[in-house]
Amino acid sequence: MKRSASRLVYTIIVLFVSSVAVFYAIRLSGGDATAAALPGSATEEFREEFRDRLGLNEPIYQQYFTYMGRILSGDPGNSLTNNKALTDMLTEHGLNSLILGGTAFALVFLVGVPLGILASLRRNSWADQGIMSLSTFAMAVPNFWLALLAVWLFASTLGWLPSAGCCGTKQLILPATVLAFEGIALTVRMTRSSMIESQNSDYVRTLRAGGLSEWRITCKHVLRNALIPIISLAGLRIGQIVGYALIVETIFGWPGLGQVLVNAVLRRDYPVAQFFSLVLVALVVLGNWLADTGYTIANPRLRKSA
Amino acid sequence: MASFEDTRSSHAKAWEERVSAHEIEARSNPWRKRLKEFSRNKLLFTGSILGVFIVGLGLIGPLFIGSDYGQQALRDAHLTPFSEGYLLGTDQYGRDLLVRLCIGIRVSLFVAAAVTSMALVVGMALGMCGGFLGGSIDRVIRSVTDFVWGFPLILVAVLLAGGLGQGLFPVILAVGIVNVAAITRVVRGEVVVLRSKEFVEAARACGVPNFRIMWRHLMPNVMAPALVLASYYVAVAIIAEAGLSFIGLGAQPPLPSLGKMVADGRGFLRINHWESTVPGIAIALLVLSVSLIGDGLRDVFDPQLRHEAKGVEKE
Repeated sequence: MKRSASRLVYTIIVLFVSSVAVFYAIRLSGGDATAAALPGSATEEFREEFRDRLGLNEPIYQQYFTYMGRILSGDPGNSLTNNKALTDMLTEHGLNSLILGGTAFALVFLVGVPLGILASLRRNSWADQGIMSLSTFAMAVPNFWLALLAVWLFASTLGWLPSAGCCGTKQLILPATVLAFEGIALTVRMTRSSMIESQNSDYVRTLRAGGLSEWRITCKHVLRNALIPIISLAGLRIGQIVGYALIVETIFGWPGLGQVLVNAVLRRDYPVAQFFSLVLVALVVLGNWLADTGYTIANPRLRKSA
Repeated sequence: MASFEDTRSSHAKAWEERVSAHEIEARSNPWRKRLKEFSRNKLLFTGSILGVFIVGLGLIGPLFIGSDYGQQALRDAHLTPFSEGYLLGTDQYGRDLLVRLCIGIRVSLFVAAAVTSMALVVGMALGMCGGFLGGSIDRVIRSVTDFVWGFPLILVAVLLAGGLGQGLFPVILAVGIVNVAAITRVVRGEVVVLRSKEFVEAARACGVPNFRIMWRHLMPNVMAPALVLASYYVAVAIIAEAGLSFIGLGAQPPLPSLGKMVADGRGFLRINHWESTVPGIAIALLVLSVSLIGDGLRDVFDPQLRHEAKGVEKE
């Protein structure tokens, strides 16, 4: 209990520190905020007035508190380029990202765990070797290159699936698979090594000596112990998916948070960049916290110490 | 994360090993033994040959074929490989793909070298200080590295690009920071184990100052695991740079980067898919050679791991 409480405090501190870091990094960036929002012909007085209106002339720490206050009261402001309310963008693009990320997250476990179990049960067979080489391959190939191959094969050559767009099931298949690919590979490896460790443990030997059938040992004892780390570390996959979503969404033109953030950075639309960076950073921090909490719950030894 | 605990290179353990003629030779010259393993190790051998080929292409290639990567010849646009005058064909502006490929490899190698040297130097220093000195320094180093390490690299890079503008520098910084955290964690873990070993205690009893213990006695022992890990992160750095350049945040035109070249060719897959596939294959080969070298180095430096079920490198 004490451990999870201290982790919570740590997480809150981390959230605060990263919000300050994100705020400062993007606000202090060299570019002039008015360049993105106003036409090149705008006069200097008009620019000055614009900066005043956005509060850009106040001391920076004051800007931070004003900004965080506005976010917490639910009004983070508008985009500089198309003047859309950021909250509207969050609900619209957030939903798209949730669909894509959720599908990828589900794929990671629905595909990764069974393959890992299969590899561990048929250890050193051709199935095991095939699965393991495929997962090595999946970890070595950059996902944008994979995305391109997939588009080239399934969209351009075979014409089975659309290469980009939103937001039907057909458009979802390619980006979700690419996004999940590395996660699947990692999960396969983790499941396999965790299963093997569990199969070789003393209690399994005892059960075997007691005459239990191999099937029962695997289903009732090995599996349940082997899956603990996989499930409890699922939070880490959230961070990974958030990171890769930035690239995958951009490639497939999937209008999610990642694409919005990358475009905002490219166009120097700082309110959007700032707000969505904060959202994604918060997601990652929460994911890591979930992983940590999950690990503590699943592992009673950690609960008692600390 | 494969643990490197209890590296066999620790002095105390070496003395306990059975003495044989071979062992004596190995102890008198550990590098000769490693060199022998190096030539025998298939992974390392294949990876090195592939690596030498690609690195040679990037470093020496431009000396022969010129390095004018921006030269456009619109009449020669979209040529397929083996066209007259262009071995690998041209892109949409008629720029020579072979020249751009060489320079792109050079950019990848530059990023990888910058990131890895930063990660090794800073990571080893932080890890040794934290692990050896302990106390509040250790606590600070640990919480900061835990925090950074839990972050997806691409997100860090996009944040830095938001702050510093696009270009190679934020990419190097982002990948570097995350790699520093990774190396620090491993080195710290090693040093915590080594700290209580007899040879460190002996040095301390003799009054050797802390800095000297770290430099002369701890560093040689953590070098191997740090190098092995660093070689994994070379691959990570190459992939990250390519991915970020692909979405437009890394190398800025006209400087070619392998990732940017893949992105540029994306619109012309039907006309001439080589514009994308050639740099893509180059990335894959580069990453493959680095991974092979990494696996091989682990086998040479840490034979205990070789026969065990390979764990998950990233966890």
